[in-house]
Amino acid sequence: MSTTSIARRRIPNVREVVVTSIGLALPGVATYGDLLGPLPGAGGFDVATGLSGRELRHKDRASRLALRAAESALHDAGLTDDAAAFTGAADETAVVVSTNLGNADSVCEAAATIAGAGVRALSPLGLPQTSSNVTAGWVAIRYGLRGPNLTVCNGATSGLDALAWARNLVVAGRAEAAVVVGVEPANDVATKLLGRQSTDVAVAVVLEPAHAAASRGARPRATIAGYARAPDLSGALAAAGVAQEESVGLWLGDEAEAGARRLLAATRHIDLEAQLGPLSGALGILQCAAAAAHFESGATGRVLATAGGHGHDAAAALLLTP
Amino acid sequence: MTWDITGMAAIANIGASPEEIFAALCAGQESRTPLKAFDPEKYRAAYAYEIDDRPAGGDIPRRATRWLTTVVRQAAADAGLGEDLSQIPVLVGTTMREQRSLELWWRDGVDVALEDLHFGTALKAAFGASTTYTFANACSATLYALGLATDMIEAGTADTVVVAGTDAATESGFGTLDRVQNGIPDALRPFDATHKGMLMGEGAAAVVVQRAGTGNGPVHARVRGVGMNCDAHHATAPDPDGITRAVLDAHRRAGVRARDIDLVMLHGSGTPLNDAAEAGVLRRIFDGAGSGPRMTAIKAMTGHTLGGSGLLSLVMAVLAMKEGTVPPVLGLTEPIPEAAGLGLVRGVPAAGPLAIAQIDAFGFGGINAVAIVEAAR
Repeated sequence: MSTTSIARRRIPNVREVVVTSIGLALPGVATYGDLLGPLPGAGGFDVATGLSGRELRHKDRASRLALRAAESALHDAGLTDDAAAFTGAADETAVVVSTNLGNADSVCEAAATIAGAGVRALSPLGLPQTSSNVTAGWVAIRYGLRGPNLTVCNGATSGLDALAWARNLVVAGRAEAAVVVGVEPANDVATKLLGRQSTDVAVAVVLEPAHAAASRGARPRATIAGYARAPDLSGALAAAGVAQEESVGLWLGDEAEAGARRLLAATRHIDLEAQLGPLSGALGILQCAAAAAHFESGATGRVLATAGGHGHDAAAALLLTP
Repeated sequence: MTWDITGMAAIANIGASPEEIFAALCAGQESRTPLKAFDPEKYRAAYAYEIDDRPAGGDIPRRATRWLTTVVRQAAADAGLGEDLSQIPVLVGTTMREQRSLELWWRDGVDVALEDLHFGTALKAAFGASTTYTFANACSATLYALGLATDMIEAGTADTVVVAGTDAATESGFGTLDRVQNGIPDALRPFDATHKGMLMGEGAAAVVVQRAGTGNGPVHARVRGVGMNCDAHHATAPDPDGITRAVLDAHRRAGVRARDIDLVMLHGSGTPLNDAAEAGVLRRIFDGAGSGPRMTAIKAMTGHTLGGSGLLSLVMAVLAMKEGTVPPVLGLTEPIPEAAGLGLVRGVPAAGPLAIAQIDAFGFGGINAVAIVEAAR
């Protein structure tokens, strides 16, 4: 049983945190409403044209993807002006990035370059991406976001974990809003490490306290209602506050997770990775976007997102409500 | 609200326990060594602050992971927790994760899996831990993790949290830094007029943080508050405004004023940009605060231990407060003009009562974290 369940030991007057916008940079998915399927669809992000531009120059691929998703999310949230400058409370806005492979290509390329020709052959512009937090830094710099800045590299559950930590930052009063980005780039290093074709994916959501969203007239797309990371899926569900006898409207998770269907009833089940390819650190944030699509479609029931489990160090569950 | 530190552990080039490292800092003997980890022919820099535990003939993967599990085990034992951490969150701060293993995998074909990149896999195997988090928050990572741990306890989601950090030097990081630094440092000389830049160290540190009064053993020190923010200014250069906000946020959370601080553990990375920015900020903050706090910078002897460096400084601050002794900054003979008037300890250790310490940690991406810790009396 996890000691970090937020549902089981909910404290009174805790600030309710809602998702107020979504941005995608994802080939084959034009808008987050498309995440309900079938996938991949027509259109979506074009990496051939979408990753260029003056403000993306000299940046690693993960950071370029993430900046495109963040741009879309902040626009959707009504937090940028006509010049794409941030108009929210910059000192109080956090950035949380989830990624596992974000800078793996930069690291391996630099090591290979040094082995071949020594450090003089390296580009000095590559310094930021030797550190795994490069993307969170660039997102903060682009929009002047001076709140807490966190990079979660936590394996299969990383995206769901990042959402929980962003919520924690808001609940603790360290931030009034958080831009949460899940990103993974496609490249040879990622493909070799994953053991299958890697995918370009970036997704960003904005989290705010429910009262703040209401007071500025922002429409809540989903509410984070529970979360836990536990040794296995059944432990994560219990600790996140999902009882076995109840049913959820949508379960976003791995079809193959052993015995998963016996754990609880779901009206609908969507496995995003089965359709889009490996999503790694971006999975949880994309599941959050799919949950918003579910609520927007008028479908009923709560949404459960799960990741990890068998073959991983833990499983995580995130419960979302309208 | 304060939080008890009930367990501590650390490993670095100059010692395999907090006490060994502290004694070495006080002794103040040169600790840099010729670069062994990587082929020196490929680099301009000739020195580093490595943990010399590689087997003869080459590097091996997962050294950062091994140090991490070692210090987590030792800190847990120090706090009387035992080796079952299935009920206890473990928050790990790191700059590089297991990127050194990734380099060996890509270039030399060493066996490394995707699941080895974050530290939850090893923490599960060693301690049965599952509420584990790897935060890649550059060189402020462990103080960020400490702040998040205090948030968890305050929110009621845990009474006990292990906070740890670890980093092994990577060729990509060491090499790119070597490429961009204007001068080639022979040693890391924070705040000295001869400083030329940063040289990497290696190491790990861990502390057990508990809700006040809930631990079984003695309390080493108390966390008063942790501030964290981002400059949003430059990808690798520090920003005095962001650092100032982080320090003032930490003071506010801790309920202290500048004149209450007795000791500052400086970030002190030895780069001209960092040292000028940090010294300038502290001069303004401690202006008018009496004679001002004593200050020291341990990277002069440990090298820059990256993600774990903030927590290593914190552990050294706790021992400094226990002993009433502040180790000197090795090699500091002529402070930079920006540091004029700061109480930098030079030559020999400084003695005197110490009650409250400030610990600075700044990282790439302009991310800053500052912790305030008080002695347990």
